[in-house]
Amino acid sequence: MRVDIEDLDVAYAGRTVVSGVGLLAADGEIAGLVGPNGSGKSTVLRTVYRHLRPVAGRVLLDGTDLRELSPARAARHVAALPQERGGDFELTVREVVAMGRTPYKRAFAADDAGDRDTVARALAEVGMAEQSGRRFSALSGGERQRVLLARAFAQDPDVLVLDEPTNHLDVRHQVDLLALLRAARRTTLVSLHDLNAAASVCDRLHVLHAGSVVASGPPREVLTPALLADVFGVRAAVVEHPLTGDPLIAFDHREPVPQGHGANPAASGARSHSVEAGRPQGARSHSVEARRPRSQGSE
Amino acid sequence: MPPSLTARHPTTADPRPRTPKTWPLAAALTIALLAALTAAVSWGSTSIPPAEVWAVVGRRLSGEGVRPGTDDLIVWQLRVPRALLAALVGAGLGLVGTAVQALVRNPLADPYLLGISSGASLGAVGAIVLGAGAGGVLGIGLSGAAFAGALVTFALVWAVARRGGGFAPLRLVLAGVAVGQFLSGFTSYLVLQAGDEQQTHSVLFWLMGSLSGASWPLLAVPAAVVPAALLLLQARARALNALLMGDETAAGLGVDVVALRRELFVVTSVLTGVLVAVSGAIGFVGLMVPHACRLVVGGDHRRLLPVSALFGAVLLVVVDIVCRTALDTQELPVGVVTSLIGAPALLFLLDRRLGSGS
Repeated sequence: MRVDIEDLDVAYAGRTVVSGVGLLAADGEIAGLVGPNGSGKSTVLRTVYRHLRPVAGRVLLDGTDLRELSPARAARHVAALPQERGGDFELTVREVVAMGRTPYKRAFAADDAGDRDTVARALAEVGMAEQSGRRFSALSGGERQRVLLARAFAQDPDVLVLDEPTNHLDVRHQVDLLALLRAARRTTLVSLHDLNAAASVCDRLHVLHAGSVVASGPPREVLTPALLADVFGVRAAVVEHPLTGDPLIAFDHREPVPQGHGANPAASGARSHSVEAGRPQGARSHSVEARRPRSQGSE
Repeated sequence: MPPSLTARHPTTADPRPRTPKTWPLAAALTIALLAALTAAVSWGSTSIPPAEVWAVVGRRLSGEGVRPGTDDLIVWQLRVPRALLAALVGAGLGLVGTAVQALVRNPLADPYLLGISSGASLGAVGAIVLGAGAGGVLGIGLSGAAFAGALVTFALVWAVARRGGGFAPLRLVLAGVAVGQFLSGFTSYLVLQAGDEQQTHSVLFWLMGSLSGASWPLLAVPAAVVPAALLLLQARARALNALLMGDETAAGLGVDVVALRRELFVVTSVLTGVLVAVSGAIGFVGLMVPHACRLVVGGDHRRLLPVSALFGAVLLVVVDIVCRTALDTQELPVGVVTSLIGAPALLFLLDRRLGSGS
């Protein structure tokens, strides 16, 4: 299923957080949302899983406006993995995953064999089948994220929406989770802080800045030194990953781009510490679709 | 290829004992409830054998007529309504506790947190002090005043919580606590203003919770509201589960969170108002019953709601037996006994849970 977001404006507590956002995830594609803190990534995702209602604009699932569907029907298409942790309510892993069946069940309906089968398969898919009787709140961070992903799988959705799913995970658990995402082969919208992770797992990237999309396209076209300087305010070289061939961003962690200097020439890859097989990716400008951010909010 | 993940995570012991099957547990609790009700009717200043208790009930229900004698009167007019009221109030407190804990997403929340009971208490105390309760300490006038107090408070908390939109858990709690404290101040003032000693005594007794006003007419409203609330909440059990994980998760699972919160708020307010109106302020049951049940059957509301209602009913029937029979000279307020039992029980449960590791 294809997701199109058109001209999305979202206000939160009376303040416009996102304006004029348009982006897409083609069928079966992993589309990544990247951008600095407060750029609007989570806000965009929250409108897709209907936690927030947009002021203007639409979210389309294969051309159907999400708002034309009932909440339960929409939830059969779109499953979410938000950033919240939930309270400690003595729920077991299996009970948490079984929540994924909520949009399919009427009031008073018990889980049937089909539901139990779906839940078991989702648990197996994330490798948590043997942990199904454990208390959810007693799990480690990596285990929790896998269980929540299993809950999303149990929803049997066409579209997965994940908000920073690798936050607070060590690198092995990050790799595990992203591998599960790739293996799921579903249309996916995912926000990621780690640009290198985004560059290697996403088929398409949308860069957000101050509530607007400033660049969209394949990772190797979007992630240029100039964009990294402009949007993230960091100096970086983009080289080729020696193992995978994906774009690899080598940040300069010693000093940022001076304030107010958008495209700092020094940041555009000229001084890249060249990796043997690598060559700086991309030209000096952003990708074809690149735009300057609109008005700058206070970030 | 996703790597094989199970190998690296050795299965650890399940920190919770295997969840008991729901139906046997519900059956056991139902039997316990019947036994407790029988004991409640049987025991007291006049001891009536259980067989005679059921014989009286059987005669009354079959319309066979009344056999003259004091036992019949004691059983049917005094003890049966009181035992049933205890069961209804206990079940209601168990339900309202479960619902509030999901509503504000805190397993240690309490129905009194929303301030509704303070409003009901103020209404009732006002009625006693200002004279509307003259027809008896727990007359219908007093219940009406308590319920009116609950509804006014409900509207007030609602209005405060709604400011800025949404029903955020923290906003609800703060609104409830603030309004509740405000009204409690008024109640204390009224108690101080109460003219004679007898009045003060009846006010205080009522504030500590009592089932001594039980009568068949008094049973009507809770007998309708408590089962209705159970049905309504049970119909939302899956949505309540989703709400435990967070508003965003619930929205992603197709739950209309704002509508659900509104419903829960109305249900808990009406239920609290009804319960306080018929039984005063009984503490700890709404907090402890869901908590204890959760430790046994887990957090899934499809099991938790009926089990909490049943366990709450059993508990309050038993507690009321203690209240009636512990002292020879006078009755103990229910709230005193629930606090004396509830607080240590809660500490024990918490301790056990922390001990089991998490």
